[in-house]
Amino acid sequence: MSLEQYKILSSRFGRDDGHKLSVYEAEGGYTALKKVMSTMKPGDVIEEVKESGLRGRGGAGFPTGVKWGFVPKDAAQVYFMVNADESEPGTFKDRYLMDYDPHQTIEGTIISCFAVNSSLAFIYIRGEFGWLVDRVQTAVDEAYAAGYLGKNILGSGFDLEVIVHKGAGAYICGEETGLINSVEGLKGQPSIKPPFPAIEGFLKQPTVVNNVESVAAVPWIINNGAAAYKNIGSEKSAGTKLFSVSGPIKNPGVYEIPLGMPFSEFFNDHLGGMVEGETLKAVIVGGSSVPILTAEEAMQVNLDYESLDEVGTFLGSGGMIIIPESSDMVELIQVLMHFYFDESCGQCTPCREGTGWLHQIIKKMRHGEGTADDLDLIEHVCQGMAGLTICALSDAAVMPMRSFIEKFRPEFEALIQETAPAGNASLWPRGE
Amino acid sequence: MAKLTIDGKELDVADGSSLFDACTTARGEELPNFCYHPDLSIAGVCRLCQVEIEGMPKLTIACNTVVRDGMVVHTRNERVTKTSRQILEMHLINHPVDCPICDQAGECGLQDQYMNFGLYDSEVQMQDKVNKAKAKVIGPQVILDKERCVLCTRCVRFCDEVTGTSELGIFERGNRSEIGTAPGVELDNNYSLNTVDICPVGALTSRDFRFQKRVWMLKGTESICAGCATGCNIRIDHEGGRIYRLLPRRNEAVNGAWMCDIGRMTYKTVHDEIRVTDPSAKGVSARWADLQGDLQGMMAAGWGLVVGSAHQSLEELHLLKMVAGEAKIVGGLAGSDMDIGDELLLNADRTPNRSGLAMLDLHEQDGANLAALITAAQGAVLIHGGNPASDDAVAKAITAHGQVIYLGTHQNETAQLCALVLPGATWAEKAGLFANKDGRLQSFKQSIARSGSSREDWRVLAEMVGPDGPSSLKAVRESLAAALNLGEVNLNKLPATGYAAKAVVPGGDS
Amino acid sequence: MDALIERYPTKASALMPCIWVVMDEVGYVPSDAVDLLVEKLEVSRARVYELLSFYTMFRTEPQAEHTLQVCHNISCHIMGARPLIAHIEKRLGIRLGKRTPDNMFALEGVECIGACGMGPCLQLGKHLYEDLTNEKMDVILDSLRKGIVPRADTDRLTVEGGA
Repeated sequence: MSLEQYKILSSRFGRDDGHKLSVYEAEGGYTALKKVMSTMKPGDVIEEVKESGLRGRGGAGFPTGVKWGFVPKDAAQVYFMVNADESEPGTFKDRYLMDYDPHQTIEGTIISCFAVNSSLAFIYIRGEFGWLVDRVQTAVDEAYAAGYLGKNILGSGFDLEVIVHKGAGAYICGEETGLINSVEGLKGQPSIKPPFPAIEGFLKQPTVVNNVESVAAVPWIINNGAAAYKNIGSEKSAGTKLFSVSGPIKNPGVYEIPLGMPFSEFFNDHLGGMVEGETLKAVIVGGSSVPILTAEEAMQVNLDYESLDEVGTFLGSGGMIIIPESSDMVELIQVLMHFYFDESCGQCTPCREGTGWLHQIIKKMRHGEGTADDLDLIEHVCQGMAGLTICALSDAAVMPMRSFIEKFRPEFEALIQETAPAGNASLWPRGE
Repeated sequence: MAKLTIDGKELDVADGSSLFDACTTARGEELPNFCYHPDLSIAGVCRLCQVEIEGMPKLTIACNTVVRDGMVVHTRNERVTKTSRQILEMHLINHPVDCPICDQAGECGLQDQYMNFGLYDSEVQMQDKVNKAKAKVIGPQVILDKERCVLCTRCVRFCDEVTGTSELGIFERGNRSEIGTAPGVELDNNYSLNTVDICPVGALTSRDFRFQKRVWMLKGTESICAGCATGCNIRIDHEGGRIYRLLPRRNEAVNGAWMCDIGRMTYKTVHDEIRVTDPSAKGVSARWADLQGDLQGMMAAGWGLVVGSAHQSLEELHLLKMVAGEAKIVGGLAGSDMDIGDELLLNADRTPNRSGLAMLDLHEQDGANLAALITAAQGAVLIHGGNPASDDAVAKAITAHGQVIYLGTHQNETAQLCALVLPGATWAEKAGLFANKDGRLQSFKQSIARSGSSREDWRVLAEMVGPDGPSSLKAVRESLAAALNLGEVNLNKLPATGYAAKAVVPGGDS
Repeated sequence: MDALIERYPTKASALMPCIWVVMDEVGYVPSDAVDLLVEKLEVSRARVYELLSFYTMFRTEPQAEHTLQVCHNISCHIMGARPLIAHIEKRLGIRLGKRTPDNMFALEGVECIGACGMGPCLQLGKHLYEDLTNEKMDVILDSLRKGIVPRADTDRLTVEGGA
């Protein structure tokens, strides 16, 4: 199946001029905004997006229109945050949206803010994407100059200010309340819920946090209608999704596919299969925090929310990682456990101590100090972590840990059986 | 009202209340917790107070849950107990096994909860534990052990929300997180020792109390701080005749759950080297029996002047009036013991019972007046407590008069100038009542035994009154109650939180 | 900084961008910069240091001339991050996490920086180098030693890079 017909988000990817306002407008940009400003009320926009079936594209998959609906209609001040803190390992799609088509995101943001009556929006870009900030800021400036931002947008009486806010290196700021706290000038530690952000978020006011990709889909939905969006994709997963694919495949990169496409089709027809000399061993479909699939399992599955739920994993961020036969699964899980240990904000005890403990156990195992009880111990630690914390980072560490052991247990057991030679100072293969 | 069922027990709870509090009521004890504190914001970080609420798939922390009518809650079933154990274990894996040298032992949240439902062996080896700085002085009163900290954030919240001074923070992230002060900042506000109280473990401990005494050897006696007119409710912790520390007792009407550092250190005056513990005449130690003759002689001609003090209890002041009889009696040196107060608890008036003077219609005098009264006094002068000779004119007058008796506790200027010094008791060594700045009557009890041959002041005064006077503290209080027109209030059985006498009006129409 | 404080709804919320102002100008946040932040933003010293220690990109010590940050997360690992790191270690004569004695280079391992399909990759400030090989790495190092920051693909997006 050709992906050409599915360029809802990615029509300007790869071009060197698509980010310019003049080009965006010439290709129909800001038509949706004009339509909204002249013919629609905020409630209409919320209904349209609800109808479309658009779900949060950052990882949680929560229906976007429903989230907007939680904001009290009579709130005096509402804030909007565009979550561009893309830090989930394997995920590199939001950067493309902001790089090649920042105005699409901006237009989507303005419409979204109109829908929830927000007059101040922050675009939170992770600090490591410092190279992206100029492009986004320039686009924002262009939008101001054209009257799409600021006071009385297109004569509608609607005001919106947009601030581009740079993060500073913390994965946990991608969690919506962590992001809100970070913008408030606190550490980016998630808040306890209740209260939920839609009721009490930034500066205790109703706040909506949406991923870049979610917001970027809004203009197309307004222009083409909810039904058209729903028509694409599968029964419970409307529309398209950006998948950023990495690993030793012939064609890594970012793809926009209709939800529901079988993985086998995606893998063979678009990713080009594995590179010469490698075979498919496993697939992480949506960012490191989702349970892993074996090659066999992946080949049976469709890429949408419901199919992936059924096989015990989930769509997540769409950060797909292709794992070859040559990979050592224990080595890979050590890499991931180091990540969660590094990024845990440290607030709540099960995650703070648990992520450190898991990392330590695996590290020792790879140093040749593993014991027969370690796999049971790991499960014990996971039980003390899953579902017991303020945010889902704890679960995000537990899910890969448990699924790697579940599906590749022999590799762990084999490693525990053999002992590394004493005095082996280095874990990592040294390239010579 | 909301009707809840907690562990099979039905109870009615006010709408809007916290499920944590409801569980405490139902269970008779708090849910396991570290970060919860009734006077601080909800943090929800320790994750220990998880309960099962029927209808909700995941366990929920009770501290952040508002009760709803019809809630059915389980706090002790297998799922909750297993989870609490697992979370407690997480708190312990990097915790140093410092109990043998940690001051918190015996009053430690971790120890208590471990003994309650932990009792497991460690799964983490000593060399794998995360190491952090230990024994770090972070302020004049507080010392920090970063390894022991369970990151409950109570101390950080206290400094943000109660004192507003924000000296503390939590730095780094993940299991490298540690509490501390910012570089160049000390934890030196006047309430710093409250962080030691609220720290559930031995991370923040008192430098003054460090290594002094194991807490299980201490006895606690309910008392009132005599450091200022606020009258914070306290507990005196003592053993073998020595006081080791003062801790606040909760009284919502006076001090909440806190007291100030200055107040905490007032116990040191009890064990001061310059204590007066034996009688003396013209600087020479004597026994009570030996001085009876001199005393009777001085009293025979009638008192020329009686001087009280805002440091003395209501009972003592009441008796002092009886001792004076027709003779002139004044409240003491006006303006004495005044210093700077703060916006929280510390009052500028550093005496515990100035309101008591007003209630009993006793008036303080400035130095010149007091000196003049002493000079003009025909007959012996009795000074009870305080240190009026700190004023030069008064000192001169006392020296010139020659027949001044001092009933007090410390070898101060007054004691040194008086002809006869009788050793009374400090507030920690006797029982009594103080009236704080709002006229609240609060009772304090005797904690340690008196040293030397010092005696309860009320007894000394009662003897001076003679056989017609009251012969027990109980009787003194009954007489006092009548004098203050307190009606039904029984001063021998005051409510735990004290008694708010109405506006302090001289003459006492309460 | 004042312009930023104007735009943000509260003073405290302008703290992160103000710290960035210092980082961009000085390369790290010294103690007197903290004094300035405390004064201008009316936040406690503890708060500022909390942020400085929580976020990996904020530094409180002077940095090396070039801090080479190599991603060692899962995708880059699969595509050869470790051998690349070993190669750089050999070329620079230092271990991962250390600095060369002349303060020219620091080598840091970092978590996912969002270039997974183009790994292994390296970040040098605002320059992101992708699809690295040992040979490409050598070219980069040689150029840096000469004082020239070689062009990264992401330079097309930055004002300095000619956006």
